[in-house]
Amino acid sequence: MAFNRTTKKETYIPTSSMGDIAFLLLVFFMVTVVFTDETGLIVKLPRAEAGEEGIRELITNIYINNVGKISIDDMIVHSEDVTAIMSQKVAGNPFLIVAFKTDKHTPYGVVSDVMEGLKEANAVKVFFNTDMELPGVAF
Amino acid sequence: MGILAKRKKARAMGEIPMSSTSDVAFLLLIFFIVMPMKQDEIGISLVLPGKAKADKVNIAQSNVATIRVHQNGALSLDDARVQLGDIQEIIRQRVEANDKTVVILETHPDADYGWMIACLDEVKMSGARKFTLKTTGL
Repeated sequence: MAFNRTTKKETYIPTSSMGDIAFLLLVFFMVTVVFTDETGLIVKLPRAEAGEEGIRELITNIYINNVGKISIDDMIVHSEDVTAIMSQKVAGNPFLIVAFKTDKHTPYGVVSDVMEGLKEANAVKVFFNTDMELPGVAF
Repeated sequence: MGILAKRKKARAMGEIPMSSTSDVAFLLLIFFIVMPMKQDEIGISLVLPGKAKADKVNIAQSNVATIRVHQNGALSLDDARVQLGDIQEIIRQRVEANDKTVVILETHPDADYGWMIACLDEVKMSGARKFTLKTTGL
């Protein structure tokens, strides 16, 4: 009695739609990506261990460099102008978070003046940008 | 002329090779996935007291721990000299002993901002939930 050899079906994953999926994902990421076109100022951020992630969509940056120069939206401003600028921003977005991208060697008085301006503008949610702490390295 | 029938020239069809399109799509996909990752915002968040009078509260002196950052970067806790590395443990003990403890971080205007952040980091790491910033002289 002869046995019939059953022909084995080869299993395969269809890859013909891979390109379409790639394009769909590409379109998704192109649409959702947020590029920041702000140059700001060159700063060396202080290091901190307790750093948490901020909500980028709600953040407005204030750059303060080591000589106390302040930049908002790529414009150099004085600390007295902060209230007027930030009041407009808060009116447009009440959930606004102000991120301080401040150099670690900046005199604290400059930061304090800016914070007073923010209080006046009712922009009370602040975020101090930091670098991740490296073991054994002081700020 | 009739014999020599006009030969139709077979025109070569112009063609754009599409085989590498999906490779290009994948490369662009990787680019758009990786690019936003570079711009993560890492830092310490804080809510400042507003200008309204209601935001001002009176705290009993016994519930206050004052960390001072002096002009030269020296640190003190309730007027006693302290090292940066010790702040976290001292504040943790204070909060455990009295959960009403409020940490005031008072910084001299001429002190480096980095020292203030270093102290704020230690306070955050200690688990203290009530803390505020103050500038010396204000």
